[in-house]
Amino acid sequence: MTGPRAGHRAASVVAALAGSLLLLFLFAPLAGLIAAGGAAGAAKLGSDSELRSALLLTALTATSATLLGVVGGTPVAYLLERRRFRGRALIAASIDLPLLVPHPVAGIALLLVLGRQSAVGGALLAIGLRIVGSPLGIIAAMLFVAAPLFVSAAREAFGRVDPRYESVARTLGDPPWRVFRRVTLPLARRGLVAAGVVMWARAVSEFGAIVILAYNPKVASVLSYDRFTSFGLAEALPVAAILVLLALVPLVALRALRPDRAAAES
Amino acid sequence: MTADTPTVARSLTCGHIGPMRPRALTALLWLPIAMPIAAQENVLIAFNAGSLARPLRAALDSFAAREKVTIQQENAGSLETARKLTDLGRVPDVIGLADHEVFEQLLMPRYVSEYYEFARNRMVLAYTPKSEFASEITGATWIDILLRTGVETGRADPALDPNGYRTLLVWQLAETFYQRPGLARRLLEATPPRNVRPNEAALVGVLQAGEFDYIWSYESIAQAAGLQYVHLPPEVDLGDPAMAARYAAVSVRVPGNTPKDTITFRGAPILYGVAVPDAAPHKALARRFLDWLLSADGVRVLRGAKLDALDHALLVRSPSTE
Repeated sequence: MTGPRAGHRAASVVAALAGSLLLLFLFAPLAGLIAAGGAAGAAKLGSDSELRSALLLTALTATSATLLGVVGGTPVAYLLERRRFRGRALIAASIDLPLLVPHPVAGIALLLVLGRQSAVGGALLAIGLRIVGSPLGIIAAMLFVAAPLFVSAAREAFGRVDPRYESVARTLGDPPWRVFRRVTLPLARRGLVAAGVVMWARAVSEFGAIVILAYNPKVASVLSYDRFTSFGLAEALPVAAILVLLALVPLVALRALRPDRAAAES
Repeated sequence: MTADTPTVARSLTCGHIGPMRPRALTALLWLPIAMPIAAQENVLIAFNAGSLARPLRAALDSFAAREKVTIQQENAGSLETARKLTDLGRVPDVIGLADHEVFEQLLMPRYVSEYYEFARNRMVLAYTPKSEFASEITGATWIDILLRTGVETGRADPALDPNGYRTLLVWQLAETFYQRPGLARRLLEATPPRNVRPNEAALVGVLQAGEFDYIWSYESIAQAAGLQYVHLPPEVDLGDPAMAARYAAVSVRVPGNTPKDTITFRGAPILYGVAVPDAAPHKALARRFLDWLLSADGVRVLRGAKLDALDHALLVRSPSTE
């Protein structure tokens, strides 16, 4: 009977090895990037005003896109998870479609819908809102590529809430909106925050769709491409490294500040 | 239980096909991934400027069919292409650039000791039938149309792409030729930063989507993409080698090797350069390709793809190797 036990041990070793290799694969490039450009990037924060404004623009646009994604995506995720209705499968599938589109193609698709020749873009331009070549275009690109991640993660968050709690609240006379606000939302909050963090991170890293819609003003990803092309690696690494370092702050903070973290883990 | 499991698994996954087939099929699925990963001898790697994408592709395909080789082509702006060698240490077999000056500014003598000037091009103003005032635009009216409010004109980034700084040079030449002082500045104001894209290839899609009415581009790009375009006078379009002295009277400064440094590009006839880097991984094959590309056969293929290839390419050697 030593066979199965030895087999289990071998499986554990293989699993640990595979896991470690993956972690190394994920962290090594980032560690290398920060080692190569982190100090120079921190120094540049003081001297390089173009870098500062690119980082500020990135933070503002990614946060705006995430807020829009949360406001629009939360009800969609809830409906898809909790209600059965005609066309549900179709909507669920098409929400993932933006994830499949190559990003420059996504940029062109958005251009066709939001450009000045389109009905929407034309109407917005008439009231003075320019999408293409403006921060609004950047937000649109980020929202398009990152919102599907929020919706699918938010669906999972709602899925983990036991429907019996909601039923109990309803039998006690709470109207649906109140049930959602007082029972479902608090129970799903941890997952929703995590979904928002994932969306924000994806928005910060977007390049392909943004560069089609709004090359200027430059977000950090575009600036790092720009620096690489015009000045080379030595100028591009600090921009990329400082973006990674600064993005880590809200990512870690949001994960750490989750209100029900301790309760969930105990 | 342990005795049953394999049987159950087999009946679930294999069905009637037999025990080995699915695994063999799965392995086959990985082949397209595995093939390019494995080191290959019969590969020709080309890095080239965006405006050479179509003509060089046609030439590479033609050569590949003849020599039974696989080709790998990477399109990017000329400066970005040069950076792949200088900063990323990635060396192709063949490198083709939209401005031979980039060889001299960034690649010689360390990466490339000689190159051929092999094709010409000229700057044009490209548009589509949907463009605002498309019915009115001619070689005589383009300036006034571009300066009208509501007309959106796109251009490439001068810091990243030869087409970008050539656009600025064309404006200066137009200012002199049409005797309209201040024209270059007014054309610059008519193409604000939001109308800039990293390279001329990126402008075409935006024009076709209707976001721009006009874009500054190359004749070869406009022809290959089926765009309409305004011919500019040879005194302005940087396309005529006989006008070299006239072109040299104008210049632009673009960022150099650091954000504080600058490089000056002087007006010059547009000449494309092609080279085999000294450290090319498949050098013998690359040399055969270059010989064929510059032969009458190669020139015919390039012209078929709308590139104005020269009958006789001109060899330029790095001063240090002479």
